[in-house]
Amino acid sequence: MSELTYLLLRFGFLLVLWAFIFGVVYALRSDLFGSRVRRTSGEQGNQPFVASAVAPPVAPPVAPPVMPPVAPASPPPGGGSSFTQLISPSRGTDGTGAPTRLVITSGPKEGLEIELSKEPLTIGRSSASGLVIRDDYTSTHHARLMLWSGEWVIQDLDSTNGTFLDGKRVSLPTPIPLNTPVRIGTTSFELRR
Amino acid sequence: MPAKRRNLELLLVIVACGIVGAAIALVELGALGHIEGTVLLLGTSLGVLALAMHVAMRFVAPEADPLILPVILVLNGLGIAEIYRLDIANHNTGWGASGVRQIAWTAMAMVIALAVLVLLRNHRVLQRYRYIAMFVGIVLLLLPMLPGIGATVNGARLWISIGSFNFQPGELAKIALAVFFAGYLVTARESLSMVGKKFLGMRFPRVRDLGPILVIWLAAMAVLVFQHDLGTALLFFGLFLVMIYVATGRLSWVILGLLLFVGGALIAGSALSYVQGRFASWLDPFNPKVYDAIGGSYQLVQGLFGFAHGGLIGTGLGQGSPNIVPLAESDYIIASLGEELGLAGLFAILALYMLFISRGLRIGFAGQDDFGRLLGVGLSFAIALQVFIVIGGVTRVIPLTGLTTPFLAAGGSSLVANWIIAALLLRLSDSVRTQPGLIADR
Repeated sequence: MSELTYLLLRFGFLLVLWAFIFGVVYALRSDLFGSRVRRTSGEQGNQPFVASAVAPPVAPPVAPPVMPPVAPASPPPGGGSSFTQLISPSRGTDGTGAPTRLVITSGPKEGLEIELSKEPLTIGRSSASGLVIRDDYTSTHHARLMLWSGEWVIQDLDSTNGTFLDGKRVSLPTPIPLNTPVRIGTTSFELRR
Repeated sequence: MPAKRRNLELLLVIVACGIVGAAIALVELGALGHIEGTVLLLGTSLGVLALAMHVAMRFVAPEADPLILPVILVLNGLGIAEIYRLDIANHNTGWGASGVRQIAWTAMAMVIALAVLVLLRNHRVLQRYRYIAMFVGIVLLLLPMLPGIGATVNGARLWISIGSFNFQPGELAKIALAVFFAGYLVTARESLSMVGKKFLGMRFPRVRDLGPILVIWLAAMAVLVFQHDLGTALLFFGLFLVMIYVATGRLSWVILGLLLFVGGALIAGSALSYVQGRFASWLDPFNPKVYDAIGGSYQLVQGLFGFAHGGLIGTGLGQGSPNIVPLAESDYIIASLGEELGLAGLFAILALYMLFISRGLRIGFAGQDDFGRLLGVGLSFAIALQVFIVIGGVTRVIPLTGLTTPFLAAGGSSLVANWIIAALLLRLSDSVRTQPGLIADR
C-alpha cells in the first residue's frame, strides 16, 4: 500500500470522526438552540386564535395576520369561558386549538412542563396524582383536569384551600383558557399549545 | 416518538461501529502494512453486542437518551484500537495482549450495563439503599488497605488482587458514593442550606452542620495519605462538593471545601515525598535532575514529546512510537492517541467527552425528582472531573495524578464502572420522559 493511500485514509478517518461529532450535535440541536418544532407549531397555533378573536364565527382564514409567536401575557377581556368559546370554532377544523402541555409558571418546580394526553390529570399531595404538589396548602386529592368535548376543564375536589383560576376561586368545573394561570397552593400553572 | 429516538440511536451506533472498525483497520495498515482478521473479528463481536444492547433498550428503556450509547462506543473503541496498536509495538499477542483483554472487559462491562438497565426499572429504588451505598463505597475504598488482597502498583495502593485477578475497587466506589451523596443530600439539604450566618455576602453553614463535609474530607485525606492516590482523593472530594453545591445552591460550601482540601493537600504535600515529586515534575519537568530521578518526570516529558511529534493531525494510527512512554496503554493512553491522531483527534475525543457529559447534565437538569436530578449531575460530573484530572495531568495543566481515562484506558474495573454509570444515566433519561406526572416537592 502506498504512502499516499494511507495519508488519504488518515485524513478520511479524522474527517469521519468529526462528522460523527457534528452528527451528534446536529441530533441534539433542539436542546442547544431550543425546539424549532414547538415554536412553529406555537405560531400556527396562535394564528387561529388571532383570527377568531377578530372575527369569531368564521373559520380561520387562509392568510391570517402575522403575529409575534408569544401569546399576550394577559388574557383578552371578556372572561375565560367566552374566550374559549371564541376559539372553539377553529379547534373543530384543525387540531391545533387544544392545549397540549401544562407549564408550571411559579412555585418550586417553575419551568417544568407536562405533556397533556387525552386522559384526566389529577393534582394533589397524594403520590398517585398525575401532578404531585407537596406543600402546606394542597389537599391529598386537590383538583382534576379533564378533557370535556375538546376543552380542558378544572374541577376542584373539595380542597381545603381552593383552586384559583385567574385569581378567582373555582367551585364548579370550569374551562381553562389558554395561558391563564391556575393556582394551587404555592404552585401556578398554565395550559399552552 | 420513542421509535424515532431509538432509530436515531441505531443509525449512530452503526456509524460508531464503522468508526471503530476503521480505526482498528488503520492501526493494522499503519503498523503491519496489511489487515489481519482476528482483532477485527473480536471487535465485530463487540459491535454485535452493542446492537443487542440497542435492541434491548427498545424494550426496557424506549425513551432513553439516544446519544449516550454511540458516543461511549466510539470512545471505548478508540481506546481498544490504540491499546491494540501498543500491543503490536510491544509484540504482545493472545491473552497476554492488553487489547484482547480490553475487548473481553468491554464485553463484560456491556453485559453488566445491560443487566443494570434490565434489573433497575426505577432509579428511585436506589434512594432507599443510600446508607448501604455509603457502607459499600467506604468498604470498596478501603479494601486495598487490607493485607493479603491489597496490592501496591507503582507506589499507589489502589488494587486488590486475588490470584491472577486484579481489580481497582475505587472505581466502583465512585458510583456507590454518588448514590449515597444524592440520597443523603435530598434529605439533609434544608438544614444545610437554610441556616447560618451571613459573612462577606455569603451565608456560611453552622459549625454543627459541618459534620458531613469533615467526614468526607477526612476520608479523602485518608486516601491521600495511606493509599498514595491524589487523584482518587480529589475525585471524591470534588464530587461531594459539586453535589452539595447543586443541592443547596450555596457557594460557601465550595469555598469552604476547597480551602479544606488545599490546606490538607499542602500539609500532606510537605510531609509525603511522592506528592512533592509530583509537584516537582509538574513545575520543572525538563530539569535533568527531575527528569532522571526515579519517579521523576520522564514519563510526563515523553508524553509531551509524543504530543509534539503528533502535531496538528498526528502521525497516523500505527505510525507513531507511543510505546516509548511508560504505561502508555493505561494512564498515558491520551498521549498515545494524541501522538497518532494529533490535535485534531485529541479535540475530537474531548468533544466526545463533552457530548457525553453534557447529556448527563442535561438528564440531571430535566429530572423530575430531586434524587434523580442530583444523581444525574453527580455521575456525569464524576466523569467530567476524572477526564479533567487525567488529561490535565498528562498535558501538564495540573500535577499528574494516577486516574484512569474513562472508557479509553486499559483496565477492567474502570470500564465496568463507567459503563454502569452510562446505564444509570440511560435509566434516568428514560424515566424523565416516561414518568406520568411530576413531583413538586415542598
